[in-house]
Amino acid sequence: MKTSEELHTQIAKTSYICGSCGSCRSVCPVYREIGWESSAPRAKIALAKEVFLKHKEKKATNQYAQRLQECTLCGKCAEICAAGINTRELWLNLREDLRARGMEHPNLKQMAVQLKTTHNISTFPNEARLDWVEDLDEVEVEVSKAGSEVAYFVGCVSSFYPMSVGISESIVSLLDRAGVNYTVLGSDEWCCGFPLIASGNSRQVTELAQHNLEKVRALGVKTLITGCASCYHTWTHEYPTILGEDLGFEVLHATQYMARLIRQKQLVPGNLDETVTYHDPCDLGRNSGIYDEPRELLQAIEGIDFVEMPHRREMADCCGGGGNLAAVDKDLSQTIAVKRVREAVATGATILTSACQQCVQTLQMAARQEKLPLEVLDVTELLWRSLEE
Amino acid sequence: MEEALQKICGEKRATTDPFELAPYTRDVAYVPAILVHLLTNPLPKAVVQPISAEEISSVIKWAQQGKIPVTVRGGGSTAYFNCIPMKSGIVIDTNRLQGFSDIELDQVNDRKMVWVKAGMTWKDLDDGLRQRGCAVCSCPSSAPSATIGGWISMGGLGIGSVLYGSVHDQVIAIRSVTAAGDIVELAQATEPSDLQLKDLMGTEGTRGIITEIKLLVRDVPEKEEHLLAVFNNETDTGALMSWVGGEHFTSLYNVHFSSPEFIMTLQKAGYAHEIPPGKYSLEIDFEGKRGDVDNAIAQITSQVKLLGGTLLAAGVGAEEWADRFKSLRLEQTQPSLLAAEMTLPVSQFATFYERLRQLGQKTNTLCVTYAHLVSPDMALVMVLYPSDELNLIRYVVDLSFTNNLYKLGNSLGGKPYVIGFWNTPYLGKIYDKEERDRRLQRKHAVDPHALLNPGKGYKPPNIILNSYVFGFAMLMLGFFRPLVLKVLKGGKGQ
Repeated sequence: MKTSEELHTQIAKTSYICGSCGSCRSVCPVYREIGWESSAPRAKIALAKEVFLKHKEKKATNQYAQRLQECTLCGKCAEICAAGINTRELWLNLREDLRARGMEHPNLKQMAVQLKTTHNISTFPNEARLDWVEDLDEVEVEVSKAGSEVAYFVGCVSSFYPMSVGISESIVSLLDRAGVNYTVLGSDEWCCGFPLIASGNSRQVTELAQHNLEKVRALGVKTLITGCASCYHTWTHEYPTILGEDLGFEVLHATQYMARLIRQKQLVPGNLDETVTYHDPCDLGRNSGIYDEPRELLQAIEGIDFVEMPHRREMADCCGGGGNLAAVDKDLSQTIAVKRVREAVATGATILTSACQQCVQTLQMAARQEKLPLEVLDVTELLWRSLEE
Repeated sequence: MEEALQKICGEKRATTDPFELAPYTRDVAYVPAILVHLLTNPLPKAVVQPISAEEISSVIKWAQQGKIPVTVRGGGSTAYFNCIPMKSGIVIDTNRLQGFSDIELDQVNDRKMVWVKAGMTWKDLDDGLRQRGCAVCSCPSSAPSATIGGWISMGGLGIGSVLYGSVHDQVIAIRSVTAAGDIVELAQATEPSDLQLKDLMGTEGTRGIITEIKLLVRDVPEKEEHLLAVFNNETDTGALMSWVGGEHFTSLYNVHFSSPEFIMTLQKAGYAHEIPPGKYSLEIDFEGKRGDVDNAIAQITSQVKLLGGTLLAAGVGAEEWADRFKSLRLEQTQPSLLAAEMTLPVSQFATFYERLRQLGQKTNTLCVTYAHLVSPDMALVMVLYPSDELNLIRYVVDLSFTNNLYKLGNSLGGKPYVIGFWNTPYLGKIYDKEERDRRLQRKHAVDPHALLNPGKGYKPPNIILNSYVFGFAMLMLGFFRPLVLKVLKGGKGQ
């Protein structure tokens, strides 16, 4: 854990590198909507430079705090940065500092309290984590089953939100169909902590990380899978750093694991006659480097006409649902999502897939709001549908 | 003011909020506040983001009534205060002018073109065109941030210029708003009117505001290849640059020079490790018909060998090309760089570099250089050197070194690339008297009240920037620079 001094030094050092060239402007989904220069990443860095490098504390105003929190943490600015700055890390550090100053958005403060109480991002008790299982007729989901090879870390969104439980249902159905010896953690699963990291509250994550790691280790599984891009990123990139140790088991995103099952002929996708496109989740693609497996799954389904959107892979646009943006400015998040679903419709696709429960939820809401002829599904949901049909 | 402008542009696209205005006082270069406020009044009273020529027209007509200066801003990616207000007033931010038309085919002249809105970035336009099988002919090395209107208003030289010339040569027509607020369409073929097409190219928004451009585009090339040649000295490197320009290859798209210091600085930051340290590198990019590319590569391969150079493994050039917009990575080890950018005859490049090295040694200054070939006989050279914006005295005395660089370039036929505000003392080096008078005459003719981007491009706006006063001040600062650097032990940049 960084001390306050280390944090400030790191922010100062990074902000000094920025040459203010503005390459980050046109790729930033927030700047593209707000339009004022103050919302461009370079302007936020310029302010950080004033505050941390030149010690002009007066510049740390409420407007400064608002702009720093109006960010999806999509990381596209880092991808294009002419100076090679890891801007995503910088935004996280700046949010850590905001929290320390007591300047974080009230909704984020509330979320931290909520998480401490329920250990998930919803208002439901954590014991309700497996309520979605009740809808499954043919699949028996066993909790904390000793001797399992695989543990499925469901994630908060597809555990508690009715719009998203189809993802968890599909994943366990696929695991079941492939004959995988798997288990889930049930109420022993706590939020991975990603929403806290994104709100500059990484200190509170240590407890969650320790708990989750202990529970998974106790199962003795070889592999942990998750259908959530942010959980995946947190398990693979944050936990080892926060806890300072190797996890001791393999962590895969559900799409990686399903692709493996297909390659090993343990799972044979079915047939669907649909035109489908794919939205790269920021936390799975740009921030974790996984682009191919979700596409591999889609292309393994016979009959699918797979079309790409112009903004894809490293240069994919954000869905608008990242970085807790919806908690800070719901309309802004939704406007960004609308742009993305329109891009999907323009490809001629009737189904937009993604590999992240948050992306799917955000894009679904945008497609409904705009009354677009577009179904939004997780890749695993489509894969399961191909088998069902 | 806010109310009036919001009536024109809508509530969300006009602001007088000081928090929103502040970023419009900056461009790429850091200039100490003391100098900025001594010489300028950069904080606008309002910023607007129009979405049409009609809105711009209304803003200008409204500003005219109160004699309020209007400064247009695109990507804000230049370094000479080109788009920063000198006399406050209104900033017109063009970034909401987005989109481009269907591709038009001119069968008679066998060429393709599009109408593109001024606020699109070059990268966005190129990405959009490539989805339709076309591409921009050339682009600035700041393509992800520079706007179409912005680069046309500036020097217009960059990547691809060696083959397609200045972007000014690719402009077929421009839709613009005049200083009087009239909306006009100007084409090369039309009769001269009050405002002419040439008035808008390279004049930094001082004679009219560009809203839309009819631009030549090209088909996506059949083949592209990227070679990376390294040499042991500037003489051989310069010789290859001259030769390659002189051969007029129809597929030679870009030539990019990196000095050993540039490569070393990148390597310190963890990049460019495939390039042997201490070498001078030339990235040579070909785009065109398959046969033309293959033929050019064969000839250049022999010439590189003849000059004692080495071609690095295939893939190294492609990697450098992929990172062509990321030269600022050197700021990771050298933040707070100062710079001089100039055009220079290629025939003088080796001599320039040799003298630059001597100047660097003499003044204990690390000079980090890169350059593009922008015509068969002209290079656009960027020389960067470290300073420290956290140390005001160091930074101010370091500014004198830019003057030394321009002097050196000028002695070999070089000229500062753009004017903006900070290069107005060099106007006499850039244009002869006749051209300066002609430019001033045009400015008076089309913007008699000097409301468009005042203080830029025509004459030094105050006594301090008068070439003699400025020259003397630079001389004095240069005199004290060694002492300051010595006291500061060379500063962080050494």
